Amino acid sequence: MERRHSRLTYTLITIVSLLTVAPVVMLVIGSFSKNLRAFGDFTLSKYIAVYTDPMLVETAGNTLVFVLGSAAFATVLALFLAYLNNRTNIPFKFLFKVLSVVPMMIPHVLFAVSWALLLNPSNGILNMWLQQLFGLAKAPFNIYSMPGMIMVEGLLDLPIAYLIISPAMASFDVSLEESSRVFKGGPMRTLFKITLPVLRPAILAAFILCIVRVLASFAVPSVLGMPGRIYVLSTYIYRTVTMSLIADYGKAAAIGMSILVLSITLIYIYRYYTRFSDKYVTISSRGFKPAVVELRKGKIPLFIMLIIISFILIVLPVLVLLYTSFIPYIMVPNGQAFAAMSLANWRTVISDPISIKSLGNSLFLGIVGATVGSFLSILVAYVIVKVKTKASGFLESISFLSFSFPGIVIGIGFMWFFVRTPLYATIWALFFGYIATYLPYGIRPMTSAFVQIHGSLEESSLVCGASFATTMRRVVIPLLVPGIVSGWVLMATMFFRELSLSVVLSRPGTEVLAVQILRFSEDGQWGKLSALGLIMIFFSTLMVVGVNLIGNRFKPGEAKDRKPA
Amino acid sequence: MQITITGLKKHYHSEGKTIRALDGVNLTIEANKIFTLLGPSGCGKTTLLRCIVGLETPDEGEIKIGDTIVWSNEKNIYVPTEKRELGMVFQTYAIWPHMNVFNNVAYPLQNMKMPKDEIAKRVAKTLKFVQLEGFENRPATRLSGGQQQRVALARALVAEPKVILFDEPLSNLDAKLREETRKELRMFLGELGITAVYVTHDRVEALALSDMIGVMRAGNIVELGTPKKIYFDADHQFVADFIGRANLIPAKVTEETSEHSLVTTAIGSVVCQKRSFDPSDELTLCIRPEFLDFKPASDAINRITGVVEQMVFVGEVYESEIRVGTELIFAKLDPQTTLKEGDHVTFSMKPEHCLLVSR
Ligand SMILES: Nc1ncnc2c1ncn2[C@@H]1O[C@H](COP(=O)(O)OP(=O)(O)OP(=O)(O)O)[C@@H](O)[C@H]1O
Ligand SMILES: [Mg+2]
Repeated sequence: MERRHSRLTYTLITIVSLLTVAPVVMLVIGSFSKNLRAFGDFTLSKYIAVYTDPMLVETAGNTLVFVLGSAAFATVLALFLAYLNNRTNIPFKFLFKVLSVVPMMIPHVLFAVSWALLLNPSNGILNMWLQQLFGLAKAPFNIYSMPGMIMVEGLLDLPIAYLIISPAMASFDVSLEESSRVFKGGPMRTLFKITLPVLRPAILAAFILCIVRVLASFAVPSVLGMPGRIYVLSTYIYRTVTMSLIADYGKAAAIGMSILVLSITLIYIYRYYTRFSDKYVTISSRGFKPAVVELRKGKIPLFIMLIIISFILIVLPVLVLLYTSFIPYIMVPNGQAFAAMSLANWRTVISDPISIKSLGNSLFLGIVGATVGSFLSILVAYVIVKVKTKASGFLESISFLSFSFPGIVIGIGFMWFFVRTPLYATIWALFFGYIATYLPYGIRPMTSAFVQIHGSLEESSLVCGASFATTMRRVVIPLLVPGIVSGWVLMATMFFRELSLSVVLSRPGTEVLAVQILRFSEDGQWGKLSALGLIMIFFSTLMVVGVNLIGNRFKPGEAKDRKPA
Repeated sequence: MQITITGLKKHYHSEGKTIRALDGVNLTIEANKIFTLLGPSGCGKTTLLRCIVGLETPDEGEIKIGDTIVWSNEKNIYVPTEKRELGMVFQTYAIWPHMNVFNNVAYPLQNMKMPKDEIAKRVAKTLKFVQLEGFENRPATRLSGGQQQRVALARALVAEPKVILFDEPLSNLDAKLREETRKELRMFLGELGITAVYVTHDRVEALALSDMIGVMRAGNIVELGTPKKIYFDADHQFVADFIGRANLIPAKVTEETSEHSLVTTAIGSVVCQKRSFDPSDELTLCIRPEFLDFKPASDAINRITGVVEQMVFVGEVYESEIRVGTELIFAKLDPQTTLKEGDHVTFSMKPEHCLLVSR
């Protein structure tokens, strides 16, 4: 048993290192190399070229504003929503659950596109409508701007910030606030002197995680930033490898290095804060849910605001895409528009060989990639939880390394790697790249599943004297299935809509959906884009629902007799 | 300051049921006394206290602190918590984890916009009073239970409120520390001479600390009185039973003189202190174990004979059960006694210790 475990551990360390450590090493070496074909020929020229580029100053400044602005917007909004949900008597609280989960299913690139459709300065639907309504000469809003980018990116990162802040808010000991009230602290003072400082670790953790994600974000900067020539670091890299005459992967690697270092540092700080946050958590000894704040006059306006946020995050993108997919060119919804509606866009997309190819590729990567990724995750999670050795600890840290990888940067690292292998320009390059980059998302749910099994397995076999087979059937499988399902679903949806790694690695013949959508957006082919985007949302929903149904069948008892809906 | 509560009602609704946490409480808490709310878990003590500070909104009634109405449903008055000028020690202490001891204690003064040097002086004085000198810079998360309790007390006292409220402030401490802290608290409050409202379900705490006790049951104040009155002279069986161990035997009055009542019980006829009751009241004879006299004079009234059924040595006494007819009488026997289980034993009870209470 022992030996088998250690063989498994070392095999996994080898595999995971190839996936996560190798691209980093390649990125480092690549940044010092002359060019893709001359790997290892040491030169500092790339660093010098890139860090003396006068455009970098502006790009770095943009990045700073974009990153801090979006992260702050997302965190403040999440804080506000978490407060509303946990501490007030606002109605329809299930909306918060929806808000924190559903937006994760809408691909970022589509979300960004839907805002471009609404608020672009030349023919944004909302802009045109407002112009007509008020007789304005100019479009009132321009989404191709820093504020526009910050708003859209902030909304996209809202769910993740909410998922961190909300539990902290829920376990907050209300008597800390009550005592402030007794000691003459008014509501505002209590908020700023007590509530927010006590929640500070969770707020900071959310803020930092948002920063890391915005730093890695590519969809919003490319769809909304590039048309207005607002470059941030991720689009700067993209430009370096795609738009100049000769793609320079050395320069891209040199600039990617600083993003990677920053990301890893921030994730380290994030881990520090999340570890720290447990310290303040004090569960109220009064047996009931804390007294909620009665919203009196504010109830209706706040509720309306919540509805608007939900609408903006969930309904609006789909609605805009649906509308655009039926009209020949962008126009304000009116009688004329409805008269011009047709299935033309859908027909072109379905008969467009590249779109169909990209759908096929994405489906393959989503389904097969997630399956292989889940399998690897199960093994890694098993070793992390069950084998408590130094080696398994090492395995844990290398498999969570990619948590801090910005897709486009690690894509550059993979590029340096894959050009030396026959995998270059094949679908397998994407396949392994995806698994490497999103491995932590698969491992996390599995480890929690294994942690659960740990106790119950031993208890049930010891106490009940159940046979091994019975224990497997009654305890292990049912406990493992939810973890496998959520790991698989998470990986599959991420693979299916992957953009930032793919823009670097995808080549003719290995197009994927998100990249194809980006191409359509760059060419302004909004109708085709919308049709393809809706097809994308449809398949990704299908995968989530389908796998959850299959997962339910594996649960014994209660779930078995439930008919799939 | 005196606190006057009239017709206070607070109902909770959960899972389709209505919980009458406060069911029309009328209560006057005298100024500058220690008043204790005593009652079993869930009887509404915390709810009443929270209504007084304003953390809970009652449904009906009126609360007056001193001459100010702080809550009245009819007159539509609500003075927010921070304007009620009270001090409070929370059950969990609610020490702010992100501040040090100084800032915790200084917080009420900072909210009063007091000058900095004045704050420092007052905090130092208060910390000295609760014997926490030199703890100013200690982070609040690094305090023992007893120290946290004293920080909470200092914070409640620092602004010199006219009324201070306590919600089971000792329940988080271990038995020994609880006893010490109780004594300290008694001393602190005695020195300050302010109105204190103290919530507890521990009868010893209530007896040891209070000038006045209000016993609560199911959202109502059942009885009000000094510790001695509540202990020796309760009107209700519930109160007599709750405040200390007692033998409770159903009784019926058969004869009354000017001073005494004669009752029949399962242990025979007993002469008791006279008390007037409603004729419809069902009565119980209440005798505390410490008042059973096991060396009765031959002409003593209320001489009763029984059989020792069980004796348990617990240190200072034998806790024993004596069978008299169908009743088992709980008694405390001298640890030096020569009695054994199965022995016949005779004891007497003075009429003034035989208390008639209504059921
Ligand atoms: N927020 C609430 N929602 C529903 N029921 C409540 C709430 N707060 C209190 N109650 C109910 O009101 C009653 C009185 O509660 P309260 O907390 O005042 O009791 P207590 O006397 O302080 O008890 P303890 O000694 O256990 O602290 C209880 O039956 C309780 O279940
Ligand atoms: Mg209580």
